Order: sequence, then C-alpha cells, then structure tokens
Amino acid sequence: MAALANSFLSPESSRLKPGELSTGTTIMAVPFPGGVVLGADSRVSTGTYIANRTSDKIAQLSSKIFCCRSGSAADTQALTDYVRFYLQQWEVETGRNATVKVAAHLMRKICYQNKDNLSAGVIVGGWDEVDGGSVYNIPLGGTMIKMDCAIGGSGSTYIYGLTDALHKPNMTKAETVAMVKKSISHAMARDGSSGGIIRTCIVDESGVEREYIPGNQLPYGP
Amino acid sequence: MASSGSGYDLSPTTFSPDGRIFQVEYASKAVASSGTSVGLKVKDGVVLVTEKILTSKMLVPGSSRRVHGLDRHAGCSITGLISDGRQLVNRGREEASNYVDTYGIRSPPVVLCERLSSFAHYFTLHGALRPFGATAMVAAYDEDEKDYSLHMIEPSGQAYKYYGCAAGKGRQGAKTEIEKLDLQALSCEEGLAAAVKVVLQMRDDNKDKPMELEAGWCRDGKYSKVPDGVLKDAEKKGREELEEEEDMDEDEDE
Amino acid sequence: MASLHLNAATTAPSQHTKYPIVTGTSVLGLRYDGGVMVAADTLCSYGSMAKYKDARRIRTVGPATLLGASGEYSDFQSIMDMLEGMEQQNDNFDDGHSTDAQQTHSYLRAVMYQRRSKMNPLWNDLVVAGPNFLGLVDKIGTTYTDNFIATGFGSYLAIPILRKKWRPTMSEGEARGLLEDCLKVLFYRDCRALNRIQIAKVTEEGGAVVSEPYEIETDWSAASFATTKGGLEGDGGW
Repeated sequence: MAALANSFLSPESSRLKPGELSTGTTIMAVPFPGGVVLGADSRVSTGTYIANRTSDKIAQLSSKIFCCRSGSAADTQALTDYVRFYLQQWEVETGRNATVKVAAHLMRKICYQNKDNLSAGVIVGGWDEVDGGSVYNIPLGGTMIKMDCAIGGSGSTYIYGLTDALHKPNMTKAETVAMVKKSISHAMARDGSSGGIIRTCIVDESGVEREYIPGNQLPYGP
Repeated sequence: MASSGSGYDLSPTTFSPDGRIFQVEYASKAVASSGTSVGLKVKDGVVLVTEKILTSKMLVPGSSRRVHGLDRHAGCSITGLISDGRQLVNRGREEASNYVDTYGIRSPPVVLCERLSSFAHYFTLHGALRPFGATAMVAAYDEDEKDYSLHMIEPSGQAYKYYGCAAGKGRQGAKTEIEKLDLQALSCEEGLAAAVKVVLQMRDDNKDKPMELEAGWCRDGKYSKVPDGVLKDAEKKGREELEEEEDMDEDEDE
Repeated sequence: MASLHLNAATTAPSQHTKYPIVTGTSVLGLRYDGGVMVAADTLCSYGSMAKYKDARRIRTVGPATLLGASGEYSDFQSIMDMLEGMEQQNDNFDDGHSTDAQQTHSYLRAVMYQRRSKMNPLWNDLVVAGPNFLGLVDKIGTTYTDNFIATGFGSYLAIPILRKKWRPTMSEGEARGLLEDCLKVLFYRDCRALNRIQIAKVTEEGGAVVSEPYEIETDWSAASFATTKGGLEGDGGW
C-alpha cells in the first residue's frame, strides 16, 4: 500500500519516512526586471489526509529574500531556519543587506552536504542591490541553477508545458504575477497533493507585498 | 626607554600603570625599522609599493617577497619582520578561501581586514604569545559594491581604512608627501609613479643599505603584482625626477 | 556488516549516494592538428524530465585545461569549486606555475577513487583536456587517455563514428564538424540529449576557450518519415 502510494509521488516526497508530513506541493518563482514574484499552494498532507489547508510554504530568509519549500516539511523548515540564521550573521558582519546569491549558496551548501539525509527541493528568490530580482533552483541533490522561471514540487510536473508557453523575457510585474497565479491554479487542479489557496509574495526595491487567492477564486481555465 | 626595567614590558598581558602595553609598542618598533611601504587608493584602483632592504649582496633578486596575493580580488604588502608578515598572509589566504567556500562570493574587503585584525589582535592577549612585528596593507576590490579599498593592519590589531598610508622607516616623511597628492585624480600608473617616488625620496642612498622595490596593485577588479618592467620604469622615472628636483634646489641655493 | 550505521526510524542501513538526480548526458573529446576539442550539450535532466536547458557542462580550469562532465551536476559543481580553490592557491604563489591538464587528470583520478572507496562516489564521468592531452576519469577512478573519448551514450553512438572518421591530421574545422555530427546522432538517438550544444577547444597559443551555447541543425526529411507505411508493407510499422 505504501509502495503503491509512493509510486505516485514526486522524487522529493517518495523518500519520506512513514508518517512524515510532506509539502506535496506546487511552488514557483519568476524574476522580472526590478523584482521577483514567488507563489505556492497551501496544502500539507500525510498520505491522503490534508494536515493543513492554509499553510505558508513561502518562508522568509531575510527582509527581501524568500524561499519556496517542497519535500519534507520538517527538513525544509530546518533548512530555512539554518539559512535565515547564517544570513543574519552575514548581515551583521558585513553591515549590508543579504543578497539572493549568498542565500542560495548557503542553501545549496547545506543541501549538498546532507543530501543523503534530506528530502528537500527549494527555490530561493528575492531582490537585492547587486543583482536586482533573481531566482535560484536547488533540487534534491543540491545542484544550484539560476533560473528565469523556476517551478517545483509534485504539482509542477503538470504545468511545465504551460509555464514554457506563458513565460516571456522582460514581463512586467503585473504580467508576472498573473502568470504565476494562473500556472499554480492549473497545477492545483490536476495534482491531488496541491490545493487550498495560492499565496504569492512580490518583492522589489520598494518592499514586499504578500497576497493570497482563496481556493474558490482561482484563475483556472482559459 | 622608560619602560625597560619597570617589569611592565615583559608580557602583552600586563598593562603599565599609565595604560600602555609595551610589548605591542615594541612590535611597532620592529615595523618602524623596516623599509618604507606606501599604499595609495587612487581613481581606478589601489597601489602598494614597498622597499625591501637587501641584507646581503648575494640575495637573488625577487626572493623573500613582501607583496603577496590573498585572493583574486585582494593582495597585501608586508612591512616589518617578513616571517611574521607571512603569518598574516597565510591567515588572509585561509580566510579568503573559506569565505568563498561558505558564501559563494569573494570576501568584502572590510570583512577580510576585520578578520585579519582580529587575528593580529589575538596575539596581543596571551602571555604565551608575541605580537606580530609586521604591518599589512591590504588592497582589495569589493565585487558587490564595485569599489576599491585600502586597509592597514598593525601589530596592535588596529585596522583602519585609508586613502593613503605609510609604514616603516620613512613613514613620517612619506605621509607628508602623500597628503600633497590629489589621489582621486590619479590613475593606477600615476599612483604607482607617485608611490615609488615617495619611497625613493625617503632614502638616503649614501647612508642606506641597497634595496629592491616591490609593488602590487588592485585594478579592473583584480589584484596582481605590478609587472617587473612597469615597476623598473617607474623607479627609473622616479629617480630622474628626484635628481632634477635636487638640482633645482641647489640652483636656488646659489 | 557491523560497521554500518543503523537508522533508528527505519532500521535501514544508512546510505550514501547510490544514484544521481540531476544528470548531464554524453561528453565528447578529440585531438586534432594543433589542439584538443571537447563537446557536450547543455541539458541537465531530472530523471526523464528535460529540466535545465542551459546547464554549462564544459568549464575551463586555469588557463589551459578543459573539464567536461556527464553525470550528477551537483557533484560537478562541487568538483569545480574544489579545482577553482586550488587554482587560486596557484595564483597566490604568483610564480607562473599552474596545474596542467595531465596533473588535473591525475589528481581527479585520486579524488574519484578515494570517494568510491568510501562507498560515496562522485557520480561523474569526466573528460579532461589540455593543449596536448586528452583523458577520462570515471566515477570509480578508472582513467585512460586516447585520441578521442566519449562518455555515457556517446560511448555507444559516437565512438563508432569517431573510429571511422577521426584522423590525427584533422584541421580545427574538420574536428568541429565531426563533433557536431556525433552530437547530432546523439540528439537523434539519446532520450537525454539536446541539440543545444557547446564546443570548447584548448591550444598551446590560445589556451582554453568554451563557446557560447548554440543550436545545431537537425534533419527530419528521411524518406521513411515522409512516407509512412503504417504497417501495410510488412515492416512492423513502428
């Protein structure tokens, strides 16, 4: 039974221990000139039971850097705690605001060095003075790749075609937000492990805006 | 010396009654008797020039270096005991390399210099240790802020950021000369020429031991040793200019 | 087996990496008249998914060494970090010395063999090239040098072509053409390959240079594509 259930899970979730909470998920981050948009569904499950229907999978690492989590909830929470702590230390020592590159590098380092014991796939995104808006994808093994449009979690497999078609270089902030919301809606519609509401996080020089779309108002469909 | 015999100068762990740490001051004396070093932050980079006094005519040119690279974006010059200085260089390289491994970016100059100064300072805190008889001038580029900087780390662990600084035998005179320069108008080549000239000016060729110049600079975002030919040219030009100025002074005297 | 750690939660023995996750496919290398060339596509797969289409798998190490990697991309990134750290040490000494391709090849052999001996391999097959050197190191520390080398699917599909077409006197242009032909066949027949590629060369005069990624033309005009027989003429129809 467990084996059967596991065969439908994404690589991040298939290595969970019995009873472990999974953010069987749809997460996404897209930079635009001057900022970045991050988005996620809100479903957390144990097996087929929804343990939390309004969770926040977009964790804050520093004032303008965020991280979308997928895989084991425990592992990704521990990871973000560590990175948040190291970034705070970095900010104190340098007297500067943290950069997305440093945040992603710290995340990559911990994910790579502990790859045998972690099931975590994360997307780090945010805004900084050096590079503007940027996004890095760090999947299971601890590879780190800078991306123009990153998606992750079990639901993302249903929307690769959609995001490839929707994403254009140099989209405006409004276009990017719309694209993220639409893409996640479609993933939630087809992935049993994704659902609930869509949480978004828009970061640019002026600050952070957090929004959500209730589960009955999703921009699903043509 | 007022301190000797008082018993307050036997260890860096003991303050004198008027609040001084004589062992640290003695370490500074070791630096003060070394060849002159000059560091200049100019328009498009940082220049380090140092005078290496040759203790023997049998020394191979270019050996026993005083200017060292720490990382892609940083380098330093050593004034004082060369072997103490190398201790700072090794630590600087270690810190720079660890920083890249941990954070994936090159160490910001301030951070690198703060860590080096903590290292130097640590050696002033323990009875079993001796302060470094060396001062390091660090020229570095900040890859995030796109900015150059010059720091000087002293045996006490003091580290300040400078537009221009000097250490070693001729430091007083050198500082006076540096203050006359319009640093923000100079290019790296002009800065090198000026620094070389200041170092030469502090010498008395009749009295002083033979020396060799060494130089490094941080420009175009990278640290490198100044090529031998470029340095030789700057030295030749500096000597010629000084001679001319001397002749003019003599003319005026007549 | 007393030395194996036991995991309290599952009572399963603790495991190191036994399989790769984000992977690159074949890397090709060949000697030509005047230098050595290395070629690979820019795809990194996540299982069967073509996930990262701009992953650079050929890098320079110092002034005159090329390193191409197939296999786990995170391990390649960590190998590059290690080599760049060593290169910085060389630069710091500032004595004009830098590690050449042969030395890098030998060093990587030691690293790969040690890791596999700790039952924790770095999951890569690496092609190392210098102006007058071409060698391979695999994930268990086996090495060899040859006039042409291919990893992964390339060892089945590109090696036969290279055996037939390679000559020691090939010009730069001929070498490039041959590598493009090999990568094209790999794109046609390897599910994990892409027609977006990079070709790098390393010569005595110019050092190591890696091209920007570009797409190679593909041909889909074979007669069997134009006229399908749909199983009617007894060819199986697949």
